[in-house]
Amino acid sequence: MQVEARPQEETDINVQISRIALYLLLTILAFAILFPFYWMVATSLKTNPEAFYYPPDFIPPEPTLEHYHEIMTRGDINVPRWGWNSLVIAVATTAVTLFVTSLAAYGFARLDFPFKNVIFIVVVFTLMIPSQIYMIPNYLLVRDLGWLDTYHAVIWPAAPNVFGLFLLRQFFSTFPRELEEAAIVDGASRLRIYWQILIPVNRNALIALGIFVFLHSWNDLFWPLIVLSRVENRTLPVGLAVLAGAYGAGDSFSEPALIMAASSMSSIPVLIVYVIFQRRITQSFMLTGMGGR
Amino acid sequence: MIGRLGRSLLPERHSASGTWRSWKWYLGNYIFILPFMILFCIFILRPILASFQMSFFRWEIFGPKPFIGFENYEELLTDDLWWVALRNTVYFAFLTSALLTTIPIFIAIALNMPFRGRNVFRTLFFFPYVLSASVVGLVMRWLLGQQFGIVNHLLGSAGIGPIPFIADSDLVIPSLSVITLWWAFGFPMLIYLAGLSNIPQDIYEAARIDGARGWQMTRYITIPLLRPIILFVAVTQLISHFQVFAQPYVITNGGPAQDSFTVIFYMFRAAWTYFRMGFGTAMAVSLAVIIMAFTLLQFRFGGRRLEY
Repeated sequence: MQVEARPQEETDINVQISRIALYLLLTILAFAILFPFYWMVATSLKTNPEAFYYPPDFIPPEPTLEHYHEIMTRGDINVPRWGWNSLVIAVATTAVTLFVTSLAAYGFARLDFPFKNVIFIVVVFTLMIPSQIYMIPNYLLVRDLGWLDTYHAVIWPAAPNVFGLFLLRQFFSTFPRELEEAAIVDGASRLRIYWQILIPVNRNALIALGIFVFLHSWNDLFWPLIVLSRVENRTLPVGLAVLAGAYGAGDSFSEPALIMAASSMSSIPVLIVYVIFQRRITQSFMLTGMGGR
Repeated sequence: MIGRLGRSLLPERHSASGTWRSWKWYLGNYIFILPFMILFCIFILRPILASFQMSFFRWEIFGPKPFIGFENYEELLTDDLWWVALRNTVYFAFLTSALLTTIPIFIAIALNMPFRGRNVFRTLFFFPYVLSASVVGLVMRWLLGQQFGIVNHLLGSAGIGPIPFIADSDLVIPSLSVITLWWAFGFPMLIYLAGLSNIPQDIYEAARIDGARGWQMTRYITIPLLRPIILFVAVTQLISHFQVFAQPYVITNGGPAQDSFTVIFYMFRAAWTYFRMGFGTAMAVSLAVIIMAFTLLQFRFGGRRLEY
């Protein structure tokens, strides 16, 4: 793995061969990643009959945007509306989660109160329990609150993010005690230490957690599928999943070009955001994936 | 337990604990955790306890909800569909986790080498992970169809197939696993890259002086040093794939027949198609017990720090 690190070995024929093999392998892999996207977009630009042509056209013979137009005007495949719902829910979930979680992480990391450790152990213990066990009782609660088919039903249950609490508490704990004491000597209150010291200092950890929470909320299927039933209230994943059922035909679709247009329309904004923020996003997943280690 | 902040801030109040002033101080501290704890109690703690309780009742949306003891669990034991779903779930979880634990190691090792353009590859390889399961499912279903799928067309021009990837009883679970590999391998890849960047280069220098080359370095240095991370990935992947729902829901709708029914898919059906909430919670509790067994494994292995 460090063959290239040594200039004098560059001329070695084996090194050249292994480098070519490496590029070849990675290129094949890149093709395997990219081709499904290409095919999604290509299919979306065909008409439905063209999508079934045999042999298939790898390039749409007469590209048409008719399905994109159809999506914009039809009520039952309202991708823009679903995208808006997803955005509102993901932004609100991220904001609420970061706020309540960082506040509690400050409490558990830097403050004292009776039963602190017992409470923290109970909270962290629930990380071991898979979230599906909450679903049925939470559904009944949300129904009784009259929250079905509202944003509240999706946002509030996601706000107490135990993993996020655990992660932020680790970061907040590493802040040097001396600096905090200096602030206290200067007369800073608990709230000011939290808001003007710990939050800015741990900016990167908060951004990482924020990206993590946002993407999970944006992509979540199970819970929004249960609590959002009306067409205009669906999020993108729910809307698309329901399409899979409605337009499914065997192991394929009855209107593939339409379905692929809906898929393209919902993933192209994600692609653009990803390309712009890719470094931040991958860093976020490196950090959260390792549990902040 | 009095922590350091309490001591440094309030030495005199600490000594006077139990007085009104120190209680006021503690109450102020509680306020910081209060919003989280309220939401935690409502949306996490309460439903965990409620699920256990409901699993002992015949709890359907309408009508009486009598206590029935272990009847829901007894029904599971004799329910063929439950065993099919559990078998499919275990098969899918182990196969998918095996793929997602091993293959990304080698991709990460390749992408850890210094060469031009490796960041482009990293960016590209992680991208599918940020897509929703629904998009991945729709696209893959269109690609893998037996009659109109482009993959079968390409295989056909090589003289293979057509292969009913997602319409065949024996192939459906492996197909869903490979789709999941395509979708999610970027995440373990990043974790391995983080692990690789922590391995000091002088270990490789020393090995090179001792005559180690290419594959030997990978086999005898890199992989043993990554071992704790590999275990971490294996267990976390296993836990998450036991909870599989989106892939069968979007791609196969549990089919063909019931060959891609999974536990959570079945729970979804029981609770939201047939409104058998009590029976559904019994399934959720059973799966939770299985998953917790694996989580204990993670605590066993995950507690270890990395040492070089």
